[in-house]
Amino acid sequence: MAMTVKPWQWGNVPGHEMATPVKGDVVAKLVKAAKRPLLIVGGASLKEKLGGKLLIDFAAELAKAGIPTVATAHVYKALKDRGVEPAAIMTVADVTNRLQDPNWSVDGKGPHDLVIYMGVSYQLQSQMLSTLKHFATHLRTLSLDRYFHPNATYSLPNLKEDEWEQVLNNVIALLKS
Amino acid sequence: MAEKGPLKMSAKELISGLVSAKDVEVLIGRIAMEEEWEPLGPTPFPQISTLRSWDHLLLSRYKPFYAPFCDYCCLCTYGKCDLSKGRLGACGLDMKAQTARIVLIACCIGASTHLAHARHMVDHLIEKYGEDYPINLGQDIAIEMPHARLITGIKPKTLGDLAYLLNYCEKEVTQCLSAAHTGQEGNYIDFESKALHVSMIDHLAMEIADVAQIVTFNFPKGDPNAPLTWIGLGVLDLSKPVVLCIGHNVSAGVEVIDYLEKAGLGGPGETVEVAGLCCTAHDIVRYRDQAKIIGPISDQLRIIRSGAADVIMTDEQCIRTNVVYEAQRVKTPVVAVSDKASYGLPDVSELPVEKIVEMLVSGSTPGVFLPDLEKAGAVVAITAIRMAPLRQKFKIIPDPPQIQAQASGCTFCGTCRRNCPIDLPIDQAVFNAKKGDFELLSMLHDLCLGCARCEQVCPRKIPALSLIEAAFQHKIKTEKYRIRVGRGPILDTEIREVGSPIVLGEIPGVVAYVGCANFPNGAREVGIMAREFARRGYIVTLSGCSAMVASYVRNEEGKTIYEEFPGTFDRGGVVNVGSCVANAHITGAAIKIANIFAKRPLRANYEEIADYILNRVGAVGVAWGAYSQKAASIATGCNRLGIPVIVGPQGSKYRRMYLGRAEDKESFTVYDARTGERVWIGPAPEHLIIALETMEECMVWTAKLCIRPNDTTKGRMIKLTHYVDLYKRIYGKLPPDLHYFVRTEADIPITFKEEIMRYLKEVGWKPWEKPSIDPTLLKRLIRAQV
Ligand code: SF4
Ligand code: SF4
Ligand code: SF4
Repeated sequence: MAMTVKPWQWGNVPGHEMATPVKGDVVAKLVKAAKRPLLIVGGASLKEKLGGKLLIDFAAELAKAGIPTVATAHVYKALKDRGVEPAAIMTVADVTNRLQDPNWSVDGKGPHDLVIYMGVSYQLQSQMLSTLKHFATHLRTLSLDRYFHPNATYSLPNLKEDEWEQVLNNVIALLKS
Repeated sequence: MAEKGPLKMSAKELISGLVSAKDVEVLIGRIAMEEEWEPLGPTPFPQISTLRSWDHLLLSRYKPFYAPFCDYCCLCTYGKCDLSKGRLGACGLDMKAQTARIVLIACCIGASTHLAHARHMVDHLIEKYGEDYPINLGQDIAIEMPHARLITGIKPKTLGDLAYLLNYCEKEVTQCLSAAHTGQEGNYIDFESKALHVSMIDHLAMEIADVAQIVTFNFPKGDPNAPLTWIGLGVLDLSKPVVLCIGHNVSAGVEVIDYLEKAGLGGPGETVEVAGLCCTAHDIVRYRDQAKIIGPISDQLRIIRSGAADVIMTDEQCIRTNVVYEAQRVKTPVVAVSDKASYGLPDVSELPVEKIVEMLVSGSTPGVFLPDLEKAGAVVAITAIRMAPLRQKFKIIPDPPQIQAQASGCTFCGTCRRNCPIDLPIDQAVFNAKKGDFELLSMLHDLCLGCARCEQVCPRKIPALSLIEAAFQHKIKTEKYRIRVGRGPILDTEIREVGSPIVLGEIPGVVAYVGCANFPNGAREVGIMAREFARRGYIVTLSGCSAMVASYVRNEEGKTIYEEFPGTFDRGGVVNVGSCVANAHITGAAIKIANIFAKRPLRANYEEIADYILNRVGAVGVAWGAYSQKAASIATGCNRLGIPVIVGPQGSKYRRMYLGRAEDKESFTVYDARTGERVWIGPAPEHLIIALETMEECMVWTAKLCIRPNDTTKGRMIKLTHYVDLYKRIYGKLPPDLHYFVRTEADIPITFKEEIMRYLKEVGWKPWEKPSIDPTLLKRLIRAQV
């Protein structure tokens, strides 16, 4: 993919290897192809709005499509209200810490291969992605937030609200199909 | 008795001179001179590796978790080295060690900053009051300097003793910093051990700085009823000349007040307003409560650009480094008094006061460097009086009608937002203002750090920060709150009262809100959390900028927490200890609990006291908006002493946490000191330092991190009541880790008994075989062996 993208936060240039920007159907295919994905949903999902909904609404749909989900911050109640019982409630640091362990999985069903972050505030998420980039080379990571995360393996580029909504809807649709 | 290391020996051994190492001889001399106020413990004047085994014990449970900020190391000319994904640098260093090295460097910077501050303060005070000036904190504080006694084995009696202790601190900081040189330490755990060491020294340095100023300037000596004073952007009487002190070292601010009083101009606020920003503000009101606190570091540019100050005096730390430029824009002269921050200004020490005032008033120089504090006091006071009519509070924050015009060039390019450290929608706010809607701009006032990065990058040169301020101007007058003056240490008498209920768990915990408040909604969130925990009967202590901003949230009756709660170190008390250096009194209180209440030997007995605190004293530090290297060393110093710390989301940029893994039962075992048996105690506390995402999450974790293995059943029940209650409120269910904390049925909170019993049954919980033990991590404390 030839697309070059500047990190959302201009200063957040970690090194010469940065995330592969992905959008359109590629994102949906990536998620669909994962055998043991894990979705980590953070506190900003309760505030971020898109398409007249909250980001947590999209996260809940992804969880319902069968991705084991970790509720960080205080998002559990909101997920539950949307009919999702996450696999775990943990701090984002706790789940990221355990993901460095190649044998760990949230449900004990075998190690994850793709870790998806959603709604964890930009700077904090960037740091968590950095941990996994350096110390969990067995994993691939994907940020489904609107803004480019250079520390991930794959990240959405900096998107307009409607583009972002479309990407998320695509992923949900493909997973449910 | 000695385990290892040249300094682990009895007082007798030391005094009889069994050791020959050169620096040890000096210590022997000093220790030998010391009266035998308590038998000397095993680790007087610990050196860089004396307490290494304690650090390794801690770090085997609380493993360093790294989140590098950058893939490269660029510390030597071999670099830049790409250390990403397991690669080694040209010197052989890996990413964990490099990240730990950066943490060590940050802690060294933090510790050396407090230490240099203490050195400046003590040398100045010795010059002024003599080295025999006594350390006397009044009859209710017999243990005046718990850190000094614990770490060094010395009971300081005079300012001269403090200077002696500083020599030791300076040596240790140098040792630790040198380990960061290329080709020195290479193991991340040992880097961390050095970070823990230098951060322990930081707490001693803070204690020295604060005690020195308390005794000489006659600050409140642990007074729970220290007076209430004013804080906020709206506190100044702008009809008067205004002196604005920025920084952390109050020696110079005191000279201004002394000059005004001696010159017959009255105390602060009578003819001249004396106000401060950051910790120097805390300390000028500890000196005279008629002085005013403007607020934390984030208010700096706001107040400078508002033109309120007729002269700015900077001392040290957390000052806008382009203060001279910003002050010039509003025609405010600057007097810099610290050689650590002299801003390229001309040194005028040799000139007479009148001449310097003339230079400043005429504008022939934007400011001066004047390290002679007494002279600086006079210059600042006179300059303020002479400048006030000339400046007429000249400001650069536009009047509200000009906002739209100044925003008119905005193209909504987003550059400002993408450079805002906290990702505020400043682009949207400016763009809305262009269209005449100022609401978002005004709302950003409470969220914004006041850093002006947005202005720096705007291709249209739009002064976004000034526009935020302009949109908020109509509310400035209401920015006025009551705060209790920093009271300094905790009284020994208070410790006697609360030692037992804290250690048994009946007071559910001590929560310390410390450090800066740099994050969106920071002020509000610290205020809300502090009130929540005070209402729940925790002891809430505060310091630094957190102590300031916690006053910004009023209760239903319009009262700030300082008006709502008493200032006693007791159940439901809200204790402002003072400036950053006063943080040492919070950790000092934990040390005193171990010593005064539990009668654990204090003198040079660091490991045992830290072990006691980790296992028994339910204290938690919350540095919700910490940004500085000082905050890194303060937090790390708490950690070595066994006190867990929570930082806010931005705290993840410190790059390192110490995280336990609750399910790793082996790591949460301790010795039962009675029998020597290894016993699982549950993950209490689960982490030593962790960055959390949201205020709600922080509240739940604050309650949880107060749980200690030693809680009695009643104490555990009380602590669990708060944890479960908060958890249910925020998550709508029981905490999923309850089975880790319920040892017997008697631990279960009565209000949730049935629900919890049902849950415990579901997860197959069984009462613990050994619910009550005498927990310790230290083998040598096992009594059965002796
Ligand atoms: S210190 Fe080591 S890792 Fe850093 S630039 Fe030099 S050689 Fe590279
Ligand atoms: S950088 Fe300047 S022009 Fe661009 S959105 Fe921000 S204020 Fe507007
Ligand atoms: S001044 Fe405020 S809005 Fe501007 S970059 Fe700094 S924090 Fe963001």
